[in-house]
Amino acid sequence: MNFKAVLSSALMLGVFLLGAQANAQDVPEANPYSGDEAKIRSGKSDYRAICSLCHGGRADGAGERGTGASTPADLRKFNKGFRRYVDIVKNGVQKPGRDIKDMPAWGGVIDDETIYKIGAFLETLAIEGADWKEGKKN
Amino acid sequence: MKQFKLRQLAWCISLVGLSGAAFGQAVDDAALAAEAGDNWIHTNGNYAAHRFSTLEKINASNAGKLKVAWVATVGGKTDAQATPSVHNGVIYFPQDNKVFALDGKSGKILWKYEHKMPDDWGGYNVPFFTGKHRGVALYGDSVYFLSNDVKLHAIDMKTGKAKFVKDYAPDGFQYPKDFAKSKESNGYCITVGPMAVPGAIIVPLNATDTGGLPGYVLGADPANGNIKWKANMIPAKGEPGGDTWPEEAKAYGGAGPWIIGSYDPETKTYFTGTANAYEWNPKNRGGGKLDNVGAASIVAMNTESGKVNWRWTGVPGDPWDFDIPQTPILIKMNGKTTIVQPNKTGFTHYLDAATGKFLRADKFMDKLDWIKGYGEDGRPQGMIALPKEGGDPVTIFPGLLGGVNMYPNAYNPKTGLMYLASSESSMKYGFEEIKVISNVRHFGAYQEFTFGNEINRAMDVKSGKEAWRSDEGKPGYAGGMLTTAGGLTIWTTQGGTFKVADAKSGKLLYSQDLGVAAKAGPATYTAGGKQMIVQALGGTPGFGRDEAHKAEFGHMIVAYTVE
Repeated sequence: MNFKAVLSSALMLGVFLLGAQANAQDVPEANPYSGDEAKIRSGKSDYRAICSLCHGGRADGAGERGTGASTPADLRKFNKGFRRYVDIVKNGVQKPGRDIKDMPAWGGVIDDETIYKIGAFLETLAIEGADWKEGKKN
Repeated sequence: MKQFKLRQLAWCISLVGLSGAAFGQAVDDAALAAEAGDNWIHTNGNYAAHRFSTLEKINASNAGKLKVAWVATVGGKTDAQATPSVHNGVIYFPQDNKVFALDGKSGKILWKYEHKMPDDWGGYNVPFFTGKHRGVALYGDSVYFLSNDVKLHAIDMKTGKAKFVKDYAPDGFQYPKDFAKSKESNGYCITVGPMAVPGAIIVPLNATDTGGLPGYVLGADPANGNIKWKANMIPAKGEPGGDTWPEEAKAYGGAGPWIIGSYDPETKTYFTGTANAYEWNPKNRGGGKLDNVGAASIVAMNTESGKVNWRWTGVPGDPWDFDIPQTPILIKMNGKTTIVQPNKTGFTHYLDAATGKFLRADKFMDKLDWIKGYGEDGRPQGMIALPKEGGDPVTIFPGLLGGVNMYPNAYNPKTGLMYLASSESSMKYGFEEIKVISNVRHFGAYQEFTFGNEINRAMDVKSGKEAWRSDEGKPGYAGGMLTTAGGLTIWTTQGGTFKVADAKSGKLLYSQDLGVAAKAGPATYTAGGKQMIVQALGGTPGFGRDEAHKAEFGHMIVAYTVE
């Protein structure tokens, strides 16, 4: 690889990282809809319509489509913080060895408002060990 | 045209002319019509879908001496749902959009055929389905395989090379596309296997849970995969039952066939069960008040013309996802070919195969309350009230993961018993607004499951009474049932325990914990002069986060024999 190509790649990487950082910064550290009863009610409906098929009506991971190579997360125990939640919903989950994401990337088809509302509903189901604020570093 | 005729001629020559090759003689029409014995050609054992083998070398007197003959893996990345097909001692097995040929005597992989999925493959529910297949068809010197993306592959039995790959997208059956790469994610997603009948490869097409495009069965030319006929599961305007749908709802009405059916050679009729009507929330298709004929139904079609002879609807207006795609088993009763189909409703339905006339429904579940029963007219009686959209869910028995689901059943003509892979389970079920995302209509319903035990039952088809049961003590379904002239009934629990029982009494003769979930039925065949029993295992036990089994994902194929 020549110098120009290296420089070009480095610039592209820099632009990509800046973009990623900007996106991450766009997401608030905590869910702005936490505790908002109207948003939670709406998020519950969205969750049931969109997410429950895999994650289950109780959000415990026991959905009909939850079988296969991997098991959907028990969202009552979600402990990665709000920003990571948004990142997972938008970009999906890819497990090693499969050509297809086990969880699809919903970023292009569900807006931030809906993702936040669903998050606010899920917070209400949290059980011991859940963390919707800072989240575990790993 | 000339080229087409030459190709057909070449195929016919290959059908009748192959002999003495390493992989043995071609599968001709007589082989297709034979009962399962040394070979296990059809996924369901024979045309009538009995999953019964005439082999009896392994029997009640020696089943206790079964030993593992070999263990193999094809490196599966999701559930193994296919019953292996076997011809002349070679096993053909689909997994993850690949097909493997294995030596039935040693388990050694003889060849691997790999299909690359399209880069824009994806969409609603698609990750769940990807890589799952329920069988292949054998005909002539080809293995016929349906990849998830609606392509029929004819693979040379000897070499593992494609003879043709027929893409049905130009015929209007596109695959679903990744949300990120397309604004249109509706499409057909194929997990069902094809079935060979004289002169045609049956190709079932299902899109019910990937947007609801309507279900079809194709009759494909074995020489090139071209469509000879096309049967619509949802009746068109003017056909009987065509007025049981709002006309505009048919375009996304589901009713896809997603489990391999059965075939009556006397009347040249293919029988299939069909999926639920789409969306689950029935408000766009009559609110449960219209019957939605063709969905949650059994459909009979002529395999020379594709003409639909009749449709019988087991769950009119299906609001519960009680689709009845299960294989209709054909049994001679009182001199008549009778369809016997246990299904998700918790009942076994009996129909006259010639007319589709309802004969009776036998309850097999311990607890069942979604209806009081079936009337003499074959309609559900006293159904529980539907939930209101956005309101509280209702609890019903069985849930949609109860009764008999996709896991295959078996019938033994010597005992007169049918063996059910069944499960006791209930659900809370509610309706929500139907969202449309990436042009895909979502279900508009949700469930909270309460899982009950896996119970494998032997049912007397004449009396409808239970002869014996094996309560496995944990949630799930057996992978599927097999029964033999040696007086055995064989299954592997979803937790992975391989079991052999006396077919008549249910007395357990042999069991071994294999530790990997079974989601496929076993088969039996002869290799090296020995009767072998083969079981594909693969997946995670139970449903979703059901942790009763405490087992992780695994994948393997195991064969048993007696010395």
